[in-house]
Amino acid sequence: MTARVSETAGARLSRLLAMVPWLAANDGVTIEQAARHFGITEKQLQADLWLLICTGRPGHLHGDLVDIQFWDEDGSIHVLDAQTLDRPLRLSPDEASALAVALRYLEQVPGLDQRDVLTSAIAKLETAAGEALAAADGVSVSVDAAVSSEVGSVVATALANDRRVHLMYVSASDQRSERDVDPMRLLSIDGRSYLEGWCLAAGAVRTFRLDRIERITLLDVPTSIPDDVTGVDLTSGLRPDGPAVTLELQPEAAWIADEYPNESVEDLADGRVVVTLRVSDDTWLIRLLMRMGTSVRVIDRPDVARAVVQAAERALARYSL
Amino acid sequence: MSKSDRAERLLNVLFALMASARPMPKSALREVIDAYRESPSEEAFERMFERDKDELRGMGIPIETIEGTDGSGGIEGYRILRDAYALPEVHFTGDELAVLGLAAKVWEQASLGACAQRALRKLESLGDGAVVDGPVGIEARIATTEACFPVLLEAVRNRQAVSFEYRKPQAATADARHVHPWGVVSRRGHWYVVGHDVDRDEARVFRLSRIVGIAMPQGPSHAYEIPSGLDVASMVATSTPEEFDTATIAIKAATALSLTRRAISIEGDVAQIPFGDEDAFAAELVGYADSIVVLSPDSLRATVIDRLRTLTRPELAS
Repeated sequence: MTARVSETAGARLSRLLAMVPWLAANDGVTIEQAARHFGITEKQLQADLWLLICTGRPGHLHGDLVDIQFWDEDGSIHVLDAQTLDRPLRLSPDEASALAVALRYLEQVPGLDQRDVLTSAIAKLETAAGEALAAADGVSVSVDAAVSSEVGSVVATALANDRRVHLMYVSASDQRSERDVDPMRLLSIDGRSYLEGWCLAAGAVRTFRLDRIERITLLDVPTSIPDDVTGVDLTSGLRPDGPAVTLELQPEAAWIADEYPNESVEDLADGRVVVTLRVSDDTWLIRLLMRMGTSVRVIDRPDVARAVVQAAERALARYSL
Repeated sequence: MSKSDRAERLLNVLFALMASARPMPKSALREVIDAYRESPSEEAFERMFERDKDELRGMGIPIETIEGTDGSGGIEGYRILRDAYALPEVHFTGDELAVLGLAAKVWEQASLGACAQRALRKLESLGDGAVVDGPVGIEARIATTEACFPVLLEAVRNRQAVSFEYRKPQAATADARHVHPWGVVSRRGHWYVVGHDVDRDEARVFRLSRIVGIAMPQGPSHAYEIPSGLDVASMVATSTPEEFDTATIAIKAATALSLTRRAISIEGDVAQIPFGDEDAFAAELVGYADSIVVLSPDSLRATVIDRLRTLTRPELAS
């Protein structure tokens, strides 16, 4: 962790005010644990504690000051006198609503276990935040409603009990497949929910959109995921992998650039847009190009352009034209 | 003045205003706070105190200003009531704190994420001590990558008008909009702002990714009222076209599965599929290529055939 050279006095004060009640509620935590909890170095934490014990009620006599003992050999911290800081500061409207909107979002996620815990946490947050929560009403995150409750509950059970599932799945390119999957995590990204799991057929980690799971069966088999397998990195959302393809979009098709995760976007002067996407499946790309007709041109995949023409000819033949 | 000194001073001001049962006059504060006492002039002290008071109030610390009882409107002093300062007595179980921890990680955007983390830090002191790892196996994320998101969020909270350039789908150019924002909504991976379009004098829904450039706040805060009982999420949901017609389509077995799933009835290989916008539906149907044949309505069938013909002659496309 780097030194917090740019930390403002307000940011530090905010941490100090949260620190005293937390240390009081967790008597005996070590300097190392507390530093990790607040995301700072042990040195910074000790500096915070030294500052705290120099403050208190006017007069600054013995009994007026905050008293914290933190020089034991085992590194443990004991709050002996918190003065008037024994309770945390109220939540600001920004703080209360950032947390409340996220909780209300989680509440809608299908396949979430421990829903009762979530409900009680929301109720307690409402009590704790009081009027500060009014700001949360202006923000709302909707979760896709198209997931059947059966899919959600089987996913929750499988995750909670480490059990293998059998899926009938329809991919984005409309391919139906059946496979056994050892569930790893439930992912909910921007309102869409995915089951992440070890796919036994592929021998790899795969994500399955819950609304594309046609059928799911809980198997009486424990999961068996290789030790070195890790989940998908979510730092920039779920991104498809696969070769890059560059498309030229007429203005009426420019929405493609913000609908699908892309590698780069270039706005041309006349309103056209050149976008580079990663496409894991040519079938999906061909379907997109057919849908978009003349408003999208594929620049660097002549084989795909030919496949589009051939598919259109086959389709026309079915109309006996 | 180092930052460490300022944090210490702010903390001592906080203690002083909390400790006193009676409102504390400014002059008394100047006596008891070292930096105030040592300030070179009355003006320097006043400036320092005003700045500190703003900083503390900005953090949500409720500093009350108490007017004197002599009727002159003068200020007797300042105080912080403990009950107004502190979170109410609520206790969270380890499981509940774990859920709050999960929620605090949802926001990808820095400012919302930091707000949620600060809230979590405060609430964690109200736990019963047992720290739990959290609900098994779930990660949730909400991205807010649109540049105008923070401006609109703040405008909703402050009830402040905004203006922005908006490009409608299928329009080549953007036009200026003046909006009183009521709420921001995420639906199917996109953010929308719902509000009153001042020029059109109507409630409208705007997609943030279609706002060109940034949104600018205009005029004062508290400039309008948000209609009570408003459900912004359902306003966004209903702004998408409704289904009003039904197509009869022959579908090859085990193909066009995402289409088949929407069928209201299927007989043999012929399905009845409801749709809204005919052009948009025709475009989708072309994507299924030879997996399907449109039987009716005639206009839909003709549009699909037209679009297929265009695709077979790429040389005609400009």
